[in-house]
Amino acid sequence: MAGLTLSALHKSYGKVDVIKGVDLTIENGEFVVFVGPSGCGKSTLLRMIAGLEDITSGELYIGDQLCNDVEPRDRSIAMVFQSYALYPHMTVYDNVGFVLKLAKTPKDIRDQKIREAARILKMEHLLDRKPGQLSGGQRQRVAIGRAIVRQPEVFLFDEPLSNLDAALRVDTRMEIAKLHATLGSTMIYVTHDQVEAMTLADKIVVLDAGVVQQVGSPIELYQRPANLFVAGFIGSPKMNFVEVTVEAIESDALVVSSKDVARLRVPARVTGVNVNALLTLGIRPHDLQPHDAGAILGRVSLVERLGNETIVNLELASGAPWLAVLDGDQPLEIGQNLSLAADPTKAILFDKDGLSLLGSA
Amino acid sequence: MPKTTSSVPDARPEQKRLPASRRSRKTWLTAVLFIAPAFLAYAAFVLVPLCMSLYYSFLRWDGIGQARFHGLTNYITVLTDPDLLQIIGNAFQLVLYFTVIPVGLGLAVASAIRGQMNGRFGMATRTILFLPQVIPLVAAGIAWSWMFASTGLINQALKSVGLSSWVKGWLGDFVWALPAVGVICAWVLLGLCTMLLVTGITKIDASLYEAARLDGARPWHEFRYITLPGLRQEIGVCITVTVIAALASFDIVYISTQGGPGITTTVPGLEIYRLAFAHRQVGLASALAIVLMVLVLLSIAPVQWFTRDKK
Amino acid sequence: MNSSSANTLIARGLIVLLMVITLLPFLSMLSAALAPQGSYPNGLQWPSDPQWSNFARAFEVAKMDQLLFSSMLIVLGVVPISVLVATMGGYGLAKLTSDKYKWLYLVFVFGLTLPFEAVITPLYYEVRAMGLLNTRFAIILPLIGLYMPFGVYWMRAHFLNVPQDLSEAAQIDGATRWTEFWHVQVPLARPAIMSLTILLFLWTWNQFLLPVVLVQDPMQRTMAGALGAFQGQWGTDIPLLCAGSLLILTPTVVLFLIFQRQFVAALMQGAVKG
Repeated sequence: MAGLTLSALHKSYGKVDVIKGVDLTIENGEFVVFVGPSGCGKSTLLRMIAGLEDITSGELYIGDQLCNDVEPRDRSIAMVFQSYALYPHMTVYDNVGFVLKLAKTPKDIRDQKIREAARILKMEHLLDRKPGQLSGGQRQRVAIGRAIVRQPEVFLFDEPLSNLDAALRVDTRMEIAKLHATLGSTMIYVTHDQVEAMTLADKIVVLDAGVVQQVGSPIELYQRPANLFVAGFIGSPKMNFVEVTVEAIESDALVVSSKDVARLRVPARVTGVNVNALLTLGIRPHDLQPHDAGAILGRVSLVERLGNETIVNLELASGAPWLAVLDGDQPLEIGQNLSLAADPTKAILFDKDGLSLLGSA
Repeated sequence: MPKTTSSVPDARPEQKRLPASRRSRKTWLTAVLFIAPAFLAYAAFVLVPLCMSLYYSFLRWDGIGQARFHGLTNYITVLTDPDLLQIIGNAFQLVLYFTVIPVGLGLAVASAIRGQMNGRFGMATRTILFLPQVIPLVAAGIAWSWMFASTGLINQALKSVGLSSWVKGWLGDFVWALPAVGVICAWVLLGLCTMLLVTGITKIDASLYEAARLDGARPWHEFRYITLPGLRQEIGVCITVTVIAALASFDIVYISTQGGPGITTTVPGLEIYRLAFAHRQVGLASALAIVLMVLVLLSIAPVQWFTRDKK
Repeated sequence: MNSSSANTLIARGLIVLLMVITLLPFLSMLSAALAPQGSYPNGLQWPSDPQWSNFARAFEVAKMDQLLFSSMLIVLGVVPISVLVATMGGYGLAKLTSDKYKWLYLVFVFGLTLPFEAVITPLYYEVRAMGLLNTRFAIILPLIGLYMPFGVYWMRAHFLNVPQDLSEAAQIDGATRWTEFWHVQVPLARPAIMSLTILLFLWTWNQFLLPVVLVQDPMQRTMAGALGAFQGQWGTDIPLLCAGSLLILTPTVVLFLIFQRQFVAALMQGAVKG
């Protein structure tokens, strides 16, 4: 078992920088999820850890070993690919056992390990089949089985659920969580789906444009996003944003307002903020409730009634599109005006660089 | 306060850049090791001889005695000597038979039978049409020499329909020998071209034809606006294959006419062989060889450009 | 009758005509081969007394058994090595995707259009210098080299279509490039290798120019090369010549009929990629 240390990792293809200096410590046994929009460099970072991409500069330690120039096979990692990458000409048994065969493991031990992995993943009945005869979910299991028999220090998952249908995705997600609980190994998991990230991770690493935006536990990222990008990326539906002006500065809060927002007092770090400064106000759709004297006023443009909740699309006076998720069934009509109240302690202000003005927790 | 990292890229001074990683160099080395045997064989028996051909082409050499530098004289001879020009011309005439007949007939058949090559009938068709591709060209030459012989099938057929005046030794006739050779070559390539085009046409979405018919297209329009564009790649392949076969032909001519009568059916391939090994004019033979190679490249380039470009 | 079924009839007619044209030369040869020895048969005329013994005589005169043996030796010398070397080369080239190495690929592609005649003269002197003239190696070694452009190009096209993930999974599983090649890539390339083998077999068996130039003794040649010599010797004895030719083209035709599906696929793909 081992943790990882990434220091100042860079990756460039010719003149194009893909990873622009990543520092990260991953503890032994931790489940870490790299999340971000496509093209943010998360897969590249994973592949650098796997040894499938060269490291342009910086250092990668797995355990105590500097691994920049170590072949993938000597890194004691295992990887589950997005496409599963099962060898089509081998049976499931041989697919899972290939790594052991290459390591010249004696046949009886090999057999024992393959069957053990099959037992853990409940796929004993599939061992004689070839990948072509398996369903997506079954292939997924085989891919994981192939990783398990290696008994690696670190498991790497590259968007492993993206080829599965929605129902299967939820099941498999839970199984991966259980697997982590059983094996207790370090796992690094790449996804663009923030729900997977929130449900699986001990620690989420949010990446954008090759730069780490924030590292933290799921709840930390949800409640205390470091910047506009993280605030917008984590949480579903997306956080609403609107531009506001500072009206007054108190010791631990700012009073803001705009065309769309009547005076709202938001707790915030006030250093370096001047009256009349332009800020961005962020409020999550779930934190809005209808209120006759609400601070936010908009016109209803679409209503989705789900029974247990009602999703309302609004257009504010400035034209900004907002979303509110209201409890229960709310009979609203398109075109009517709606005033909403927000819990100011859950609202977040961001400065002009997009950094959050959250006070210390 | 959550841990955050500055979002300013490259804020810290450049870390020590590793010299082009050892591992990527190793990947390169492995690839090269895999390629090496193929490249060595290729170099030894194609690239080196080609360079020697180029070198010989500047020499006056009988293959045994002293070679003398001859400048561009050999090339000038190739491009001005009427016999050699006729020989090169013969090759291009053969292109007509090699290319136009198989591709034209193939297109006609393909557009007529659109998608009817299934089942036992299709299987039999495939088998039979491919036979000429499987037998040695030499055997095709012998078979057709016999067909064209004075007592052969062609003359027999002419007589039976009352065209006795047409009967002749086709391959020995100054006018008809080259077309006769052309027919042999067309016979060899016809099946392959037809099958390629038939396969190509089945890949065209059938609903395109239905849509065209609803739009009021006549059969000719269907052919012109759907079949032809849809088959562009296959037609390109057929033309490429047949043009190379025509310009580089040797086997059939060697067997059926030996280039005669006179030089009416001599092609560059045969002339290179004669010049180098019978007339001992290695330099001239090599110059002709280089010219032939360039001609093939020049003829293929536009075909490739037309048919692959817009993909 | 509506126009589409009329079309079908025309199409069928055309195809049948094509098939007849394709088969006629064979039938004509067969009828001549069965004519009495030394006679001057007519184009297509079933002889009243078919002389099947002509085939036996042609077999003997052409020393078919030795020819078959010689051709097989040459095929065995050329095809397995060419396929192996081309497969390795194709794999290597597929791995060198960066533009820096494009020239290497282009050098191979250049050879695709090269007529054998362009190098036959220097090959003669090269083979003579190696002391191999008039041996089967004079055919085997140059053919391996001459097949490389097509073979490498063919296999590279296949390997480019193998998902990169498989190769990476193998690396993570602990395979060196060499073990990955043998345990993962080659088994997956079986169809491409099969087609390449068929094509190279045909081209070798039917090769004519090299044997004619480089090997004097017909018994050391390929089938096609020997047929040339056979024609030179027996060209005037039409029944014998036709019988001999039919015998000489039998082996490939039989193989073709057995492996028809693979042959057709290989020949069509071969044309498309070549």
